[in-house]
Amino acid sequence: MNKTILMVDDDIVQLELFKRLLTANGYTCKTALSVDAAESILNSEIPDLIISDYQMPVKDGFDFRRILLQHDLLKQIPFLFLTSVSDNSFIQQGLDLKAIDYISKGTPAKQILTKIDNLMQSVRTHYEKSLSEIKGIAEKLNLRNTPEAAPVLKRFSISFFNTHYQNHPGGDFIDFIQVNDRYTFIILGDVMGKKWGAWFFSFSFLSYIRSAVRLCVYDGDLSLSVILAKLNRVIYSDTLLSEIFSTLGIVLLDDETGAVKYAGAGDLPALKYDEAKEELKAYRSEGILLGFLPESTYNELDIRLEGNDELFMISDGMIDFEIDGVKRSDINIFKLKLYELKKNGRSANDIKDILFDKHTSQVDDCSIITIKPIRQ
Amino acid sequence: MKINKAVHGEVMVITIEEKEANLSNSEQFKTQVIQEIAAGRHRLIISFIHVEYLDSSFLGALVAILKALLPYEGRLILSGMNGDIVNLFELTRLDKIFVLKENTDLALKEF
Repeated sequence: MNKTILMVDDDIVQLELFKRLLTANGYTCKTALSVDAAESILNSEIPDLIISDYQMPVKDGFDFRRILLQHDLLKQIPFLFLTSVSDNSFIQQGLDLKAIDYISKGTPAKQILTKIDNLMQSVRTHYEKSLSEIKGIAEKLNLRNTPEAAPVLKRFSISFFNTHYQNHPGGDFIDFIQVNDRYTFIILGDVMGKKWGAWFFSFSFLSYIRSAVRLCVYDGDLSLSVILAKLNRVIYSDTLLSEIFSTLGIVLLDDETGAVKYAGAGDLPALKYDEAKEELKAYRSEGILLGFLPESTYNELDIRLEGNDELFMISDGMIDFEIDGVKRSDINIFKLKLYELKKNGRSANDIKDILFDKHTSQVDDCSIITIKPIRQ
Repeated sequence: MKINKAVHGEVMVITIEEKEANLSNSEQFKTQVIQEIAAGRHRLIISFIHVEYLDSSFLGALVAILKALLPYEGRLILSGMNGDIVNLFELTRLDKIFVLKENTDLALKEF
């Protein structure tokens, strides 16, 4: 991946030399002739590395470094000082400001490149090591936002598929809540965001959902619209989640009568393959995503599943694609592939094998839950 | 994130100058706009005329911006979204909480 380096120096010749050297060796180089110009660039772009001169008029490199250290995001960018001064006290002052290293302006080009390459590699290695440690801890604590298996019911067969994006756990979460022998709730949610941030918050949503379902069941109220309304209220009032939003789809299965109910909050439509009509029908809920408004209303839909009908709940990763380098969201591509599978008598589980190929890449974590009636 | 800000009376038009609005720039964009709100800009248009793809991280940032405007009784209009993005808003009912307009001129007429 192309790395971006921000070079800051009041000497335009020096800047141009560095820019040529770096761009010729695969880096993207942004240049700034002053600290103010560098700050302006940082307002619109976060580079992978900053290299800054010490001595500049108005604000010098030390001032620049101090400004960055006050900013949560910017202080994390690896920082190198560039200097023509061989004074050890200058160098020490820079290193005291948590600069990783310094480059002397007289250093041969090849050594400069090697130093930058090594630094970038070291940052990458450190990141991967941290990631691996977090993953290891999550596994040890059995922290999962998707269950290991779907429940086995008399009248329904349930299967699900979930895959992470770029090997990072994400915001998709799945749960099956069997409240008694008769009723099972199926949950598919998606915390807006990607990777670890979304993953972390998915546990807050999961725990609220489990509580809301259980409390409503204790009250003898199995209405999905009531559960969602209560859930929305409590999530809205949680200040920790004030800027975190999640979509949610809930299906309630009645294992005695075979009845299926569905409600949703900002989720993608539930899709039903109707075997008799050979069509894919979308069931759209009316609810908006959880936690945006203090009070929201949610509708509940009855879905009839017969014969070889199938019901699909999907997360947005299933409709986000990168096709020949161009990213887009299109539910119709997904629906078409799913429809073709079903029409050709293949299992919907094969969707995961045909959705992405050498032309079409995954760009988000993906989840699909399939519910089929079992002939009695 | 590369944005362009233009002021039309009490309305600020923020044009996103990138093709992708995603995880890598959503947090920074949110901070940039929240700063404008804190500085007193409560009538905003965000133009997506250059944006080809928008991911759920960025959707989350937009919802957070809209929520930040609520205490000020502010107004946010999104303009210039392509067909895919408008469909995504409709599919997920985000069109119920955001006002979408085809272009900035039409958005400005809403104020």
